[in-house]
Amino acid sequence: MSQQVNTFEVKFLPSGKRVAVPEDSLLLEAANEAGISLDTPCGGQGRCGRCRVKVDSGKVSQQESHRLTKQQIAEGWVLACSTRVVDDVVILEPTKKEREQVVVETADTLTETPLTCGFTFAPSLQRIHLDVPPPSLEDAANDVDRVKRALASQHGIEHARLELPVIQKLAAALRQKNWEVTVTIFDDKSGGPAEVINIYPGKKKGPVLGLAVDIGTTNVVIDLVDLATGRILDRASERNKQIIRGEDVISRIYYSEKGKGLLELQNLVIETINLLINDLAKKHKFSPDEVEDMVVAGNTIMLHFFLGLRAKSLREEPYVPTLIDFPLLKAGQLGVKINRNAYMYCIPAVAAYVGGDIVAGVLSSCLYQSEKLTLFLDIGTNGEIVLGNADWLVSCACSAGPAFEGAGVQDGMRATEGAIEQVRINSNTLEPEVSIIGSGKPLGVCGSGMIAALSEMFLTGVVNKSGKFNVDFVQGIMKKNSRVRLGDHRYEYVLVTAKESGTGKDIVLTEVDIDNLIRVKGSIYSGMAVLARTVGVDLNDVEEVLIGGAFGKHVSAEQAIIIGLLPDLPWNKFRYLGNTSASGSYSALISRAARDTSREIGRKITYLELIADTSYMNELTGAIFLPHTDIARFPSVKQILEKTGRQ
Amino acid sequence: MALTGIEIYKFLPKTNCKKCNFPTCLAFAMKVAQKTVDVSVCPDLSPESKAALEAAGRPPIRLVTIGPDAKKVEVGNETVLFRHEKTFFHPPALMVRIKDNEPLESIEKTVAEVSSYSVERVGIDMAPNGFAIDNLSKDAGTFAKVAASVAGKSELPLVLMSTDPAAMEAALEKVGGNRPLIYGANAENWEKMAQLAAKYKCALAVIGKDGLDSLSELTEKITKAGVEDLVLAPNTANLSDSINTLTQLRRLAFKKAFKPLGYPVITFPGAASKSVEEEAILAAQQIGKYAGIIVLDHFTPALFYPLLTLRLNIYTDPQKHIQVTSAIYPIGSPKETSPVCVTTNFSLTYFSVAGELESSGFPAWLLVCDTEGLSVLTAWAAGKFDAERIAKAVKTLNLAEKISHQKIILPGKVAVLRGELEDELKGWDIMIGPPEAMDIGSYLKQMWKN
Amino acid sequence: MAPVELPVEKWTGKIKEVKLGGNGRKSMVIGGETTLPFLKFEGVLPNKPVIAVEVQDAPPKDWPQALVSAYGDALKDPGEWAKKALSFGAEIIYLRLKSAHPEEGNTGAAEAKKAVAKVLEAVDVPVIVIGPEVPEKDNEVLVAASEVGKGQRLALGNCVEKNHRTIAATCIADGHVAIAKTPIEINLAKQLNILLCDVGLAADSIIMDPTTGSLGYGLEYTYSVMERLRIAGLMGDGMPSMPMLCDVGEESWRQKESRVTTGVPETWGDPAERAINWEIITAISLLNSGANIITLRHPKTIEFLKNSIAQLTQAG
Repeated sequence: MSQQVNTFEVKFLPSGKRVAVPEDSLLLEAANEAGISLDTPCGGQGRCGRCRVKVDSGKVSQQESHRLTKQQIAEGWVLACSTRVVDDVVILEPTKKEREQVVVETADTLTETPLTCGFTFAPSLQRIHLDVPPPSLEDAANDVDRVKRALASQHGIEHARLELPVIQKLAAALRQKNWEVTVTIFDDKSGGPAEVINIYPGKKKGPVLGLAVDIGTTNVVIDLVDLATGRILDRASERNKQIIRGEDVISRIYYSEKGKGLLELQNLVIETINLLINDLAKKHKFSPDEVEDMVVAGNTIMLHFFLGLRAKSLREEPYVPTLIDFPLLKAGQLGVKINRNAYMYCIPAVAAYVGGDIVAGVLSSCLYQSEKLTLFLDIGTNGEIVLGNADWLVSCACSAGPAFEGAGVQDGMRATEGAIEQVRINSNTLEPEVSIIGSGKPLGVCGSGMIAALSEMFLTGVVNKSGKFNVDFVQGIMKKNSRVRLGDHRYEYVLVTAKESGTGKDIVLTEVDIDNLIRVKGSIYSGMAVLARTVGVDLNDVEEVLIGGAFGKHVSAEQAIIIGLLPDLPWNKFRYLGNTSASGSYSALISRAARDTSREIGRKITYLELIADTSYMNELTGAIFLPHTDIARFPSVKQILEKTGRQ
Repeated sequence: MALTGIEIYKFLPKTNCKKCNFPTCLAFAMKVAQKTVDVSVCPDLSPESKAALEAAGRPPIRLVTIGPDAKKVEVGNETVLFRHEKTFFHPPALMVRIKDNEPLESIEKTVAEVSSYSVERVGIDMAPNGFAIDNLSKDAGTFAKVAASVAGKSELPLVLMSTDPAAMEAALEKVGGNRPLIYGANAENWEKMAQLAAKYKCALAVIGKDGLDSLSELTEKITKAGVEDLVLAPNTANLSDSINTLTQLRRLAFKKAFKPLGYPVITFPGAASKSVEEEAILAAQQIGKYAGIIVLDHFTPALFYPLLTLRLNIYTDPQKHIQVTSAIYPIGSPKETSPVCVTTNFSLTYFSVAGELESSGFPAWLLVCDTEGLSVLTAWAAGKFDAERIAKAVKTLNLAEKISHQKIILPGKVAVLRGELEDELKGWDIMIGPPEAMDIGSYLKQMWKN
Repeated sequence: MAPVELPVEKWTGKIKEVKLGGNGRKSMVIGGETTLPFLKFEGVLPNKPVIAVEVQDAPPKDWPQALVSAYGDALKDPGEWAKKALSFGAEIIYLRLKSAHPEEGNTGAAEAKKAVAKVLEAVDVPVIVIGPEVPEKDNEVLVAASEVGKGQRLALGNCVEKNHRTIAATCIADGHVAIAKTPIEINLAKQLNILLCDVGLAADSIIMDPTTGSLGYGLEYTYSVMERLRIAGLMGDGMPSMPMLCDVGEESWRQKESRVTTGVPETWGDPAERAINWEIITAISLLNSGANIITLRHPKTIEFLKNSIAQLTQAG
């Protein structure tokens, strides 16, 4: 018995185009028939959300989509690729502006939201104006005593200390402006007496300057801070010059063990810092000598090199640092080109592979006061993870390797101008669409681009769950050797052809690259899983995920979940915090309380050695799969796979 | 029930005082949860917390000791159901049954044979653990005499098998000081046997072949009478009864913390077996599935060597990474002109490199260095895969004798070792392979002309 | 006094049932249990574990005398050999196409077809065909074997990640079962099953070979990986819930303890007795950790293990 098929009219506004389509046609099909082009980079699978249109009147049968918020649904927005015609309808085509808006929203990049934990502004430095009573025959006390007396009587600062560099300046400074001076007092309230660290004749004008320094394995970042107001005046960053002696910390440790390697590495990092100070000084027209306070955060190995400490024992079992609670230093001791009498506070570390940069991250992210079960990730050259809340904190380090920073990946690069940061692959044609950081032509692919590419290749069936190319499947869809072909490193997928790239060469992701990426993501995920299990909590019970470090800025939480890098939690639980090491360093610079807290955090974090954890290898092999051998841990990915028919 | 690190942490002072020699209270709590340190190490624990934690930490299966201190056997105290969760603690004692109605001469011969038997495997000496003297003669004097004789010839622990309290007492008078296991108490004799156990401070086996209900009833009576060191002797006559009953007992202890049956178990695999092989099969099952003392009817090296090996296997640390023996492995019948690839002895690394070599079509030698089970990069970082170790492997494994060239191929990820290795291995050509095993095939195609 | 309340686990999963044989050949089902091995108080074991006996396509060069004399002249012909195995109590024939190995003769598809046909002709029990375990070569001879046994639901192995697409396609086309072999690792075992299912092989057409370590040579790793696979399967994870095969015969007879008769410590005991104990102890241990099929070689072992399985699976 044949059945009458209803047809309905679909009218598009503002173009006014109309088509009649059979019942249950997709809006997308209607649009195509009407000659209206909607973007469907995902191939019409409801994954990308780019084919959004608004229903003006009439009924449609709509499929749920995580691409639309409740409000958008209420306003009538639907995805044309997964909405069916069951009535005469009038559809509003998205305006150009709305389309662009959609592109931005669906990039799903985490927005940077730095936190402050409400440290009261109370720097360790204070600049004081003193009228020192001139000496006379009746009162011929020496210069130092006169300054101490003035500090005590005029400012209640008893027993102030002075060291040689200040004492050397004293006689001249006191007499230059007729016993009127400005002194810089350092007092971190740690019990010792206050110290006069600098003296200027007369009334010193201009800001009180301090530096918050983040010594990264790859980059050194310095924030120039006005300590009178707490304002960050500028940020400068530069590649850590040590990079010429190895990209990763282990290579550098090896280098440090040979001949004068350690001294050279120490000099290289100090040179990098001095270079940045010099640049800032030129730009902001101050003399480096006027910088009187500094806080340093960095991983334990960077700090060992900075202080000129042997690092060999950090690489060998049982991975013991020389120290983790660093003494207060004077800039002059290390040759850092600020006032040589200025103090340098180094944020304490936890263990060989969880350093002050991570303590700084916990400090600046307020994790240590959170009531929520929180996961903090810092993915850089290494991956460090902290799990906990106000009550307890555990941490571990994964030797992730620098793949996400572009190293060891054929066309990998850092997340700078020209890097592919987002990829969409059309599931019907398997053709990619890429977006890059900045303008210009693509030069390579950065971490977020790799994650995106892998996620898309996986969802569209270009690669299987172990990251191997489904060559037969691909060749059933596209011309042999067009996008997927056999290269020098097994099969590869061409993201950008030579014609379109800025390098004149194809930009590809090879099977070997993918293998590498899967191992890196597996090592990070399994670190999190082991950490959670060790304390007896479920990774999926985590209430907030804080992501620090250079990684994350352009990463889509969704795609990172799809490949099994991040745990399968609602996207709104992920927050990208930016360079938390630098912000922790800043907190300690402007607040004595933050310094105390950093020490407390350092003591409180329990370090777990993954290599010693017997379940780690098992977790790791489970995580070296897309998204994971145990799909039950990734219910949302399971759902997507079921929807796309790839079981 | 076992507490997690976080649960234990809640009881701790949270001062991170380090007096326990752990960096934080949580680190300490996690070690307590793993049972690698005792909670009493914390000096600032409140009495309430201490009591709560100790109760939670009490082993669900009681530890029972048998025999004189020098050769004592400890059984029980297990904490898991499956060996992959955690190492099984106390390997089952393998004992030999002596029938007291046999001629003393032949008994003494067996005793001498068993006590002197020891076999080495992977550097570990394995040996039987004792004798069970069975009062088949039904005569108290004979029983006591044989017991005394065995104890005189061997220091190994004894099980005294008789349900006659008089015979038992006679034997205990002779050997009671050696802490034998009294086997045993049943519904009829338990009061007297319990008295003997108390008097001689020996563990008591409780015989209950009619199911766990009556067995637990009996143990409760006996513990009320003041004897706490018990060993259970349920029905384990065949493979099916044994695995079902012993699994139930262990589950009761762990899952239900059921105290009346929280004791180690003694089995007699030979009792109903018609052949040595059948006995071997049942004993093997009981080594894996939960026996504490296994009494065998037969003693032959050909039976004990495999059983002792099985016990060694089952009771090793399950979480030690699988390692491949350091050696030179031929992949696809290599010749003396074939390439030599170097890798570590982490099993999965080995499997992936060997697999890639195999499918490359190039017959090759795979030189596996002992890196203590770590993968290439991890081992390198930890200093366990360095020039010195590689050179040592090349020399001690006599690589030069297998090949006509002097070339080895290093994993690309440790290219940095080349210089040092050239110093260590004078005259050798150190080639740098690809960083990823997957590329070995194409690398060899390009780089290996002969 | 209240009876002791037995601690029964509420498993939600079940081991998959895999059918072998059929279409004129005797058929059998393996798997289907709803509890850990042999725990009658907890679940059912609808299909008892079975014994497969190995047959090779050419007379073995490396078998110890104890085995050679047990099989005698039958070793010269795969068909006769299979019949002999059957007379010892084999429930499945495990045919190893050893001469296809590049070092053992490098025979090809034609020879493979011949050997498979002979065995299929000689016996009516289900047959497992194993290639030389060189992935490319396996593809060649197993595809050939597959055609010969089309419709008779053989099991073909070993299927590894490298050649899983080819083996799966063959199994799908000719209605066979794949033996998925992975190196003693629970995740890898699961991953291969997932990959096989993803290319369209039905989950009930897979048998796992988790790689056998014999007594003294890694038995404990196999033992624990199998227990974990079983537990995961019973807990409701479909991917590790396939039945398992252990190649006990090959692994235990490969070891020094089963082969060497002189020049070893006296404490090792009588060589003949020791070799058999080595095989039976390996076998029983792996049955207890979840094996559904074990391969065996010595007739005495076959007999003892058959009795043991009967004892373990008898009703009541």
